[in-house]
Amino acid sequence: MSNVDATPALPVANNGPIGWIVLACRLIVGATFLYASLDKLAHPVAFAQSVHNYHLVPLALLHPFALLLPAVEATIGVALLVGFWRRGAALLGAVLSVMFLAALGSAIVRGLDISCGCFQTTGGHTVSFDLLLTDTLLVIACLWLLLAPTVGWGLADLRHRR
Amino acid sequence: MVPAIESVGIGRLATCLREAGLLLLLALSVTVAAWLIRPEKMSLRAETAFYELELDAPLIAVADALVLYDTGSHLFLDTRTAGPGSFVTIPGALPVRVTTFDDDLYENRDFLYPEDPVVLFGDGNLPAVSDVAALLLERGFEEIMIMGGDLEAWRRTGGPLADHQAGEHE
Repeated sequence: MSNVDATPALPVANNGPIGWIVLACRLIVGATFLYASLDKLAHPVAFAQSVHNYHLVPLALLHPFALLLPAVEATIGVALLVGFWRRGAALLGAVLSVMFLAALGSAIVRGLDISCGCFQTTGGHTVSFDLLLTDTLLVIACLWLLLAPTVGWGLADLRHRR
Repeated sequence: MVPAIESVGIGRLATCLREAGLLLLLALSVTVAAWLIRPEKMSLRAETAFYELELDAPLIAVADALVLYDTGSHLFLDTRTAGPGSFVTIPGALPVRVTTFDDDLYENRDFLYPEDPVVLFGDGNLPAVSDVAALLLERGFEEIMIMGGDLEAWRRTGGPLADHQAGEHE
């Protein structure tokens, strides 16, 4: 069957360690975004309260923002986990992470003693330099996923094979 | 061996932006759909009175309070000041009111300990509930939350209610 012969093999096996690292990074970042969205999706009122504690989002936009942000996180997470539109998801993830970084930084500078609202809407981590470091790692991972080569093992690659 | 980073051309950047835009659109669609089908819709407009309050304990949404009630992890304290006779309340809730605070704590001494996590509720007047939270904090209670709604909101969310004789423990 000539069609089968013309189909390229999944490239991950030929990409060596870089391929595996990109795959691992994609799965870890995707799982992180998806996990971060779950509690916020389940408890939008509590998440709105967490966002309000930063005093950065005007009240008029607070509820729409609290409803939309977890959905964006979940979308990024699913896209990265299944490997579809990886670069677009990584770009959105990088923008979100930079936004979180700015919010955390401003809360620390203003001396706010508040829950970060990152993974849990009630309780959870208080804003701290540790979180800044974690978020910086997330930004770096997203930027790398944005620029890393295509390595396969994603839904998009399966689509291209057909 | 492939390079760890690929060069970014204009075409790739455009594709990337298009993908990001489509994902954003997808998230927006999911948000609108989820909001429309949710039985207890969060209003799109935040109420100033709700967010500008300076409360002595964190607020918890009524739906989240109901989850805590169902798991049995928290004691529920009724802060409403009611007259004699029976009134409707959350089954198992202990009366702890600002006007009779010391007496109520004494009455409930066998049921209520400072290490217990508690959820306070009232008639929707959150500053009044917060006053009870402040008194409980002074008495060493650490895990205090205030339910952000009254019993009508509790009932609408599916929470149980029961007639309660004043002074009676359930």
